[in-house]
Amino acid sequence: MSPSASHTGSRPVRTARVERIFDHTSDTRSLFLAPVDSGRVRYLPGQFISIAIALPEETRTRPYTIASPPAWGMPFEICFNRVAGGRGADWLFDRKLGDSVEFTGPYGTFTMEAVPTVETIFLADATAVAPVRPMIQHAATASAAPMMTLLYAARSPDHILYRGEFELLAARARGFHFEPLVLPQSELYERLGAEAERRWVRGDGDRTRQFYICGVGKGVIALRDLLRGAGYERRAVHYEQW
Amino acid sequence: MAKLRVIFENGDPERVVEFDPSRAPFHHDGRPGSILDILLGHKIHLEHACGGNCACTTCHVIVKQGGKQLSEATEQEEDMLDRAPGLTPTSRLGCQSVVEDPNAEITVVIPRYTVNLTSEAAEE
Repeated sequence: MSPSASHTGSRPVRTARVERIFDHTSDTRSLFLAPVDSGRVRYLPGQFISIAIALPEETRTRPYTIASPPAWGMPFEICFNRVAGGRGADWLFDRKLGDSVEFTGPYGTFTMEAVPTVETIFLADATAVAPVRPMIQHAATASAAPMMTLLYAARSPDHILYRGEFELLAARARGFHFEPLVLPQSELYERLGAEAERRWVRGDGDRTRQFYICGVGKGVIALRDLLRGAGYERRAVHYEQW
Repeated sequence: MAKLRVIFENGDPERVVEFDPSRAPFHHDGRPGSILDILLGHKIHLEHACGGNCACTTCHVIVKQGGKQLSEATEQEEDMLDRAPGLTPTSRLGCQSVVEDPNAEITVVIPRYTVNLTSEAAEE
């Protein structure tokens, strides 16, 4: 059993090659990965792959969200940023064009399995827009696309990823609203929470909306509790806390 | 010392780990002192595709004994377990269930196939 296989149990390990590298900012990068077996990776919007990070002393398993919509085919994109002490991200930043990456999956239950039929709100911060992007693209191209709003907060304009793409989509797709918020890091969730409360809690009595929340830390849980506490169905408030 | 007995539904030999919960973390994935942390720290494999961050169900375990000696499940864990195949009333996520009692005696079963339904359904 290879070191990576020992970390993935019985799940088939696949290999992908780095076909393209794109730096969003100095600390945020996308890798475009093409399976070497020429097959597709079939996934739902929002899922992640699990990459075997081969460190000198051991192999670690780390998840990376697929940031491209399934309909765009291969190569697929993963988007990540450097974090203090994040050896997995450091390892990925060291990958070069043509390098191989071993992975299993896809995995994850923070997904959009069917295009929603009700107004759908996406709340995200910085790289946590990665799982939300394929959901929006998937839903926006449906014949009966729902009303959608992306409220997207980051600490600098450069960290609003895929900005041009979302602006273009908002201009072209009827019913999609894109609202970037640039705020100090410490205020991101306070503002997201205040906006969510003003618009979708106090703003009206409609509790039929669906929410997809993705971000880092306890702010995600606070948003979940705010919305569920306001009367939205538990299963209408989807979230993933990084 | 606490004791964690692990039964593998796939027929692999049973394992028993004795440990001091106050010495957690034993590894670097999952909550410190969680079943995942304890098993990995004792070189016993338990899947954890999301790195032990409560974002998948691949570390699903079924607690057969000592459930009350584990930390209470959070709403986040319960939300995730809702999506686990083969869910039982004593199901837990290995990455989230922390052994708190220094004299705990816990038995868990690792299901034969901790399928992640969503991903499997997405594959052909």
